[in-house]
Amino acid sequence: MRLNDVGGIEGFGPVAVADDAQPFHADWEAHVYAVNVALLRRGVYALDEFRDAIERMPPKDYLDASYYARWWYAIRRLLREKGVLDDAEVAAGG
Amino acid sequence: MSDEHHHDGSIAQQVRVVEALLEERGLTDADEVDAILDSLGTPANGARVVARAWVDEGFRARLIADGNAAVAELGFSMARGPQPQLLVCVENTAEVHNVVVCTLCSCYPISLLGPSPSWYKSEAYRSRVVRDPRSVLLEFGLDLPARTEIRVWDASAETRYLVLPRRPLASEGPNEAELAELVTRNGLIGTATV
Amino acid sequence: MAERFAPGQRVRVRVLDAAGHTRAPHYVRGHAGTVVAVHGHHRLPDDVVAGAADPRVEAVYAVRFAAASLWGSGEHSVTVNLWDSYLSGAESSHV
Repeated sequence: MRLNDVGGIEGFGPVAVADDAQPFHADWEAHVYAVNVALLRRGVYALDEFRDAIERMPPKDYLDASYYARWWYAIRRLLREKGVLDDAEVAAGG
Repeated sequence: MSDEHHHDGSIAQQVRVVEALLEERGLTDADEVDAILDSLGTPANGARVVARAWVDEGFRARLIADGNAAVAELGFSMARGPQPQLLVCVENTAEVHNVVVCTLCSCYPISLLGPSPSWYKSEAYRSRVVRDPRSVLLEFGLDLPARTEIRVWDASAETRYLVLPRRPLASEGPNEAELAELVTRNGLIGTATV
Repeated sequence: MAERFAPGQRVRVRVLDAAGHTRAPHYVRGHAGTVVAVHGHHRLPDDVVAGAADPRVEAVYAVRFAAASLWGSGEHSVTVNLWDSYLSGAESSHV
């Protein structure tokens, strides 16, 4: 069982009900969203694989990461595992 | 990943770099990114669907029977995302109140309504609404009568749920545009009555 | 494609030895519920992620569970979408 499977787990406290009308809180979040759609469309990975990659995040990192930070982890991981982009290329491109 | 950072500050730079590299390889381009962000759904779409269902009994019946076909009548599609989804509309009544969650991640009818609110994605909502929906709904300011049956829907597969709120008693006349303005995003998820 | 279960039928969620990606939430595993609808046929995510060459395409059911049976208390119900492989038939008697 993985950490994302939270139904019924106690201790997470009150829901932060404030409605954030903006879908993205920073430009990079919007780009993470769009890049994911583009890669899924092209079949670089399947949606199921994307969810699985998020679930494979180390538990502490998963809990500490923001929502789109988790998406980014999954995208980076899948690009590496699928042989599309490795860490060295990303580091060199910065 | 030895240099992996999960903190938002460093991610912005990584995203720029990766996006540029992907463009070099033909896996995306700037126009596509813009097009994706320009075509996001919004809660106003769901509000239009609800308002139509309130004024048109035939449409309401079709919406319950086949959500995908019904929203297509209004020009909406559930097929614009990575894979087509089954839209199931669940109707609130005097006896039943529906509320939607995805306990496993955050599945949501994005292509119709746009991205979900942050609270929908939170561990607090996802963990608690299946166990004690009344307490969660109280935190949203929704205090349902004790006799109301609460149905929680966990969107764990390809189905995306849309709550059809009850038409407010004070609303009069068939003006769909005015009725649509009464419908909130929370009403479409089930954390508000409308 | 014939479906094993029909609306109104009682089913039980298998206790899965799922070491990988699955879409059967832990809180319903081992529990019995009632099929309320069939929601199409879809590739089994467990197979897709395992790299199966031909992922099984199966019926997905909306299965309703009484909160009291899941948690020991509560008047509400929880309806979960579950792939055919996650389910077995159950006695139609009360829970």
